[in-house]
Amino acid sequence: MALKGAGFERKSKASDEIPSSSLADIAFLLLIFFMVTTVFRQETDRQIEWPQAEATQQIDEQRDNILNIWVERNGDLWVNDRPIAMESVADLVGPLWLESGQRLIISIRADSQAPYRFVDSLQEQLKRSGAVYVVFATEMERSLTRERR
Amino acid sequence: MAILNKKSKVSDEIPSASMADIAFLLLVFFLVTTVFPRDRGLRVVLPEEAEEVEVSQRNILHIHIMTNGTVELRRGESENISTIAPGALQQIWRTEVAANPNLIAAVKTHPDAAHRFMIAVLDALQMAGAERISLQLLEEG
Repeated sequence: MALKGAGFERKSKASDEIPSSSLADIAFLLLIFFMVTTVFRQETDRQIEWPQAEATQQIDEQRDNILNIWVERNGDLWVNDRPIAMESVADLVGPLWLESGQRLIISIRADSQAPYRFVDSLQEQLKRSGAVYVVFATEMERSLTRERR
Repeated sequence: MAILNKKSKVSDEIPSASMADIAFLLLVFFLVTTVFPRDRGLRVVLPEEAEEVEVSQRNILHIHIMTNGTVELRRGESENISTIAPGALQQIWRTEVAANPNLIAAVKTHPDAAHRFMIAVLDALQMAGAERISLQLLEEG
């Protein structure tokens, strides 16, 4: 059978438009992923210089069970966007520790230049409150200057 | 019945062309507002308040962190103090703990020493696999 016009005149049945019907599905899939993974910012980060450590590890714990305590260079403490006095830390953390079923993790976010006396006083307060799980928040150290054995 | 027979030109499908736009708009919103948690650091477990354990001096490695970040090392009962850089501690700990598996690192930091010096020492100890670490304040004098 001879093709009319050697087949050039035959109209293609495939649409010449980019199929847009699946676009919505893709977008919704991504949307659901982000909706599920999103954790809205509970507090604003304080401007601190993070200390660096090679042994930095990820803390696998629910967000609700982590309390961030910021220690600034001048010794000021901040919890949930509010400054607090060193002496009141134990009274603040104690009830939270019991409420969390003794799972609360305190993330000490201290400035790398903060004098150690403040970090020590904070630890003493935490011991008094009973909260014993502490994480010194650090950045992963990526320098190659340190020799690894 | 001319009117009934007239076919409507309006499509009977729900218009899906703008669906992608709506979804992308929401997607961009979530992309912009998402903050991935940065919960990472060095884990330690503090001793409970009343918990005081007597440890033989033989099993203690005293690590004193000075204001300039240098580390003074003293083994248990011995009076010899060696000054080292924090980076060297990792190897020293490995050697020491191989000789005495019950060794405890007693880290005492000068009150005026920067937090990062303590972190450097803690980092070196954790990298060397140390588990028994005590953190204290170095008393002056």
